[in-house]
This record gives sequence, structure tokens and C-alpha cells, in this order.
Amino acid sequence: MTYRDRARGCLLGLAAGDALGAPAENLTPAEIRRRWGRLTEIEGGGTDDTEYAIFAASLLVRHGHALTSADVAHAYRTEIIPLVTGPMRGAGFSELGTIEALRRGLEPPLTGLVHQHGWSDGLAMRAAPYGVFCPGDPAEAARLVEQDGRVSQSGEGVLGGRAVAGAVAAAMTGAAPQEVVAAALSVIPADSWTARDIVRARDVVRASDVVRARDAVRGGDVVRGRDSVPGGQVAVSGDDELPVVEALHQAVVVEHYPWTDVAPEAVALALAAYLVGGGDVETTVTFGVSLGRDADTIGAIAGAIAGAGQGRDGVPERWASRIGPVTGKCLPVVAGRHVLDVADELAEGL
Amino acid sequence: MSGDRIAGAFVGLAVGDAAGWPAARHRSVLHAPWSRRLLRELDTFAEEHRVTTLPVPFALNQPVAPLAVGPSDDAEWLAWTVLTIDRPRAEAFRDLTGREDIRARISVATALGNLAKGVEPPASGHDNPHHFDDAAAVRAVAFGALGRDPTEDAQVTNANDGLLGALAMAAAVAEAVATGSAAAAAGAALAVLPPDTAIGHNARLALDVARKAGDPFAAVPALDAALLDHVYSYGVGAAQTVPVALALAEVAGGSLSAAVPAAACLAALADSAPALTGALTGACGGLDAIPEGWITSARTLAGCCLPEMAGKDVIELMEELA
Repeated sequence: MTYRDRARGCLLGLAAGDALGAPAENLTPAEIRRRWGRLTEIEGGGTDDTEYAIFAASLLVRHGHALTSADVAHAYRTEIIPLVTGPMRGAGFSELGTIEALRRGLEPPLTGLVHQHGWSDGLAMRAAPYGVFCPGDPAEAARLVEQDGRVSQSGEGVLGGRAVAGAVAAAMTGAAPQEVVAAALSVIPADSWTARDIVRARDVVRASDVVRARDAVRGGDVVRGRDSVPGGQVAVSGDDELPVVEALHQAVVVEHYPWTDVAPEAVALALAAYLVGGGDVETTVTFGVSLGRDADTIGAIAGAIAGAGQGRDGVPERWASRIGPVTGKCLPVVAGRHVLDVADELAEGL
Repeated sequence: MSGDRIAGAFVGLAVGDAAGWPAARHRSVLHAPWSRRLLRELDTFAEEHRVTTLPVPFALNQPVAPLAVGPSDDAEWLAWTVLTIDRPRAEAFRDLTGREDIRARISVATALGNLAKGVEPPASGHDNPHHFDDAAAVRAVAFGALGRDPTEDAQVTNANDGLLGALAMAAAVAEAVATGSAAAAAGAALAVLPPDTAIGHNARLALDVARKAGDPFAAVPALDAALLDHVYSYGVGAAQTVPVALALAEVAGGSLSAAVPAAACLAALADSAPALTGALTGACGGLDAIPEGWITSARTLAGCCLPEMAGKDVIELMEELA
């Protein structure tokens, strides 16, 4: 499989996960099951995740490995801020706080430190292009995404971006899911909230029988209550997944906080979904968005990692056909760009 | 004099806590839940009817005492800190886990959840969405007044700017108790706040704009413009409240009566900036410099966050400690 194919799978998976998860954002897993059973069909467009990822990719295409935080801050000042004339749709606290900091004349890393959402998943949601750009080199992907992250995030928000970029860089080589998760952990300190959450989530998946059931079906065994479907995927019913969904929430979901975009949590849940899905794009993404919370970002991260591993054809055609050029509703500067074109630009020269 | 200044720090915090508008909301939790539900419905009514008559906490069929001017969350958590200060901090907090009758900031609630799950300090304060808030900075007033290190306590509930806020408050209060000088207190705080952190950057910026404004009330719009981005939904970040307290205390020359009202005018920070400002200026001027009427109103705790604090007298607590 070529890097171009994997780049396309990655960004298409990101866009599909973003769009699939959008209506499930901030819903409880129980409410998601009540409304959709398993949420498997894209209902509308994507959100800020896809548009910011396209923007990040455009920075990489322009600056390559020489990208610096100053370049990123300059791009915010020249390409994002002048177009913010009214409400900034889809933007999270970290983007808005960063823009206020830049308007005050601050420079990175203070721009990512002075607002209080430094640990948001705003970098993790757009980190995948950095992994695409550094296939097989998680450390370099993490170094590069940190240049971007220092503008808008701090602490665990930067680490969330590093983990996702590292995971995608590993998945770009076709590494097995366990190795991909190990790559994510390899680029962040073990003594961090993000690492602790990833390890907790991984342990929950390892201890659950959802994965064993899937592997059993893939091996040809018939497991009662679960149906094998063509292509090696496994239709696991919502009820079967309930214990692992609850255990994942118990393990990493922040309890006494009303916002759901906490990077350690979102990244850990996305990687857990990827392990539950065994790398398969559809299983990974549908499980990821079934977790609720920041479902569009969880779907985007999970879809990007799985898509990098499986390539363009790993993303279900019915999803791919729903992904058109972005509208620029969150970031006008990227209006009209299609993730497949962006993927081709990123892959050029790899 | 230093005994008077120690008492000034504690009572000053209670006075500032009482002066901010959120105090009445905290204290209204002593009313029946339906009372607060009605308040939320009146808020919706104002929105739906487009009337600018906004509801305030009210006492329909409820005792009116909780809505009188008085201390709330910060004074109670400071009192709890005083009462438990000789115990290992994680152990003192662990006693609170599982209790459903207490109220605390998001950082503290998360830390208690972490402790219950076996996540120990410093991770309990670090793996925490509000690690940056000023819960530990409030408690640090007790450590600073008594000349003790707040680190072990702060790390249970906070990290990064939240921890630095505690170190800065302890240093500033210790200096104010020792010398009575607000400028020296601000200097002591700056010495523990690295300039490349948000709180360190903001502390220097706040002092700069407040000095240019010349007096505390004049500094209010400048502090708002320089420090508050009005993006986030909560206003208890140590990187905002501690710098505002330092700046207002200094530019007021340590006068509580000048500094605390200005802090209360920064509506977004009014939950804790007045309390921290009151602690610093109370320590500078001592108990004798605090207006008698404010002492009377602020010295008795309501028990709105920690029920066992209901009726406790802040000055008596201090005397027992001494």
C-alpha cells in the first residue's frame, strides 16, 4: 500500500469519524443507543475537526519539517483572525482563547498558556496530518505537531496531539493496533495524565470480551449472539458492548466537569475504540462515536488512525461518498478543500 | 502585631469572600433545592420575556439569614485547612471522599474522586480539568500566615498555575504578616512565579497596569482588558485571580477597604479575587484595620460548603490555633 493511499485513508477516516460523531456529541452512550442503536450512517457534515486538520496539513505542505510555532502563529494572524468577524462557529475554548491571546500581541508558547483550555483536544483533533507526514517516525511527528500545539495548547493538550500524531505515524507503516498504541505512548511521558488514561483504557479493552469475541469470529468460530459479516467485520450489538463502554467511562471520563473536550480522555477513548475495532475503520469509528462525550473528535481521531492503517479502501464507500469539500463554516480559509486533495498534497514527496 | 496580622489575613479573606456577588449564591444552598430551582426558572423567564429585571437569590418560605452579607465557600475551606493543618494533606482530604453533603470547586471535587480511585498526589491534582484554579491558593493563606510551605496541600488538588498560585499566595501572605507591606508581599509572590508561566506573566502585567492606573478602582477596566479573555465559562483561574489580588493590594497600599471593592467589581473573578485580595490586605493592615461592621458580618461561617463549619467563628478558630 502506498503512503498516498494511507494518507487518503487517514484524512477520509478523520472526516468520516467527525461527521458520524457530530450528532452524538455530548450525548450519553445510553441516549445514543436509544436514538440510533448503533450509529452507523453519516447524517450531516463534519465539524471543526476536519477543517482544522486541513488547515494543519496546509501548514505542513508549506513549511515541511522546518515548521515552527512562529509560522503557525503567523498563519493564525494572517489567515484565521482577519476572517473572524462574528461568531466563530465550531471553535472550542482553546481556539478562541488563543485568538484572544494573539490579538493581545502575545507569542507562543504564552498564547497556549494564558487561556484555560490548554488541555483541550483541539490539537489532538487536528494532529493526524503530522503523522501522515512522518510515516514510521512517531518522534518526528510528535515534534512537529508540538510546534502547532504550542500556539494553542499547553501541557496535556500538547501531549494529546503528540500521542495522536505518533499513533498515525506508526499506522502509516501498517503496524498492528497494539504497536500503534505503543507508538502513541512512546512519544509522551509515562508520568502524564494522557499516558495514564491511555494505559487505563487499553487495560479495559484487554480485559473485555468484546475483542476476544471479535477475534473468535474472525477465526471462524461461531459465537452466540454475534454475527459475522462480509469482509471480516463483526457486528457486535450495543448490548454486548455495554460493559466495555461503561468500564471505559469509569476508567477515564472526567466526572465533575461539564465540558467533554478534555484531551487525555478523548485520546484514550479514541485509542480504545481503535483497539476494540482491531484497526478496522468501520468498527473502530462506530464504536468510538458510541462512547458519546466529544464523539465527533473521538470519531475523527479513531477514524484517522484506523484509516492510515487500512488505506483509502478501508473507509466504507457509503461514508466516503458523503464526504465532500468542506464548507469553511468553522475556518473560512479552508472552504472548498477536499480531504482527498489535501491527503495527496501531504503524501507528495513521501 | 504579627498576631493581629495573622488574624487579619483570615478575617480579611472572609470579608472579601462575603463581598463578592457569588457569596449569596453559595449561601443560598442552605435553602431548600426548590428555592434555587425557582431562581433558575426566573432566569429563564427573564430570557423569554426579554425583561432586564434579573432575579437575585431570594427566600420565599425560607429563612432570610443565609442571604445576609456573609462568608461562603472560601472562608469555609480556609477554616477546614486551619483545623486540619497538622495532618498529612492527602489523608485530610481522603476523609472527605465519598461525602455527599459537601460542596467544593471542580478541582477539589475531581481530586476527591481521584483519591477515591487510588490516584494519589501529585497526580490527584494534576490529572484534573481545573488543576489551574485557585482552590489551593485560598488554602495557602493559612500556610502563608503560619509561615508554612503550602506545596503538599496544593498538590492534592492542583498543579501548574494552580500550584504556583498557592506558592505565590503563601509567600505574599507570609511577607505581609512579617512586614505589613503590600509592595513587599507582591515582590515575594513574583519571586516564586516564573515569568514564562501564565500566572507569572499575568502577575507582572497586572502590577504594571494597576500601577499605571494609579488606584484600585481606576485599575478595574485595565485589569479586565489585560487579564480576562472572557472566553471560558469559569472565573476561578489562579492565573487571573492571584495576579489581580496582588496588583490591587499593592496599588491600594495594603488598604482592604480600597482593594476589596475593586476586586468585587471584576464580576467574572468575583467569587475568589475579592477573598484573596482581602487576605493579602487583611494581613498588611491587621485585624484592627478591617471595618468593624465587616468583621461582624464575615466572622461567622454559614456551613454552605462544609456543614460542620456552620456557626464557627473565624476569630475564635484563630485564637485556638494560636
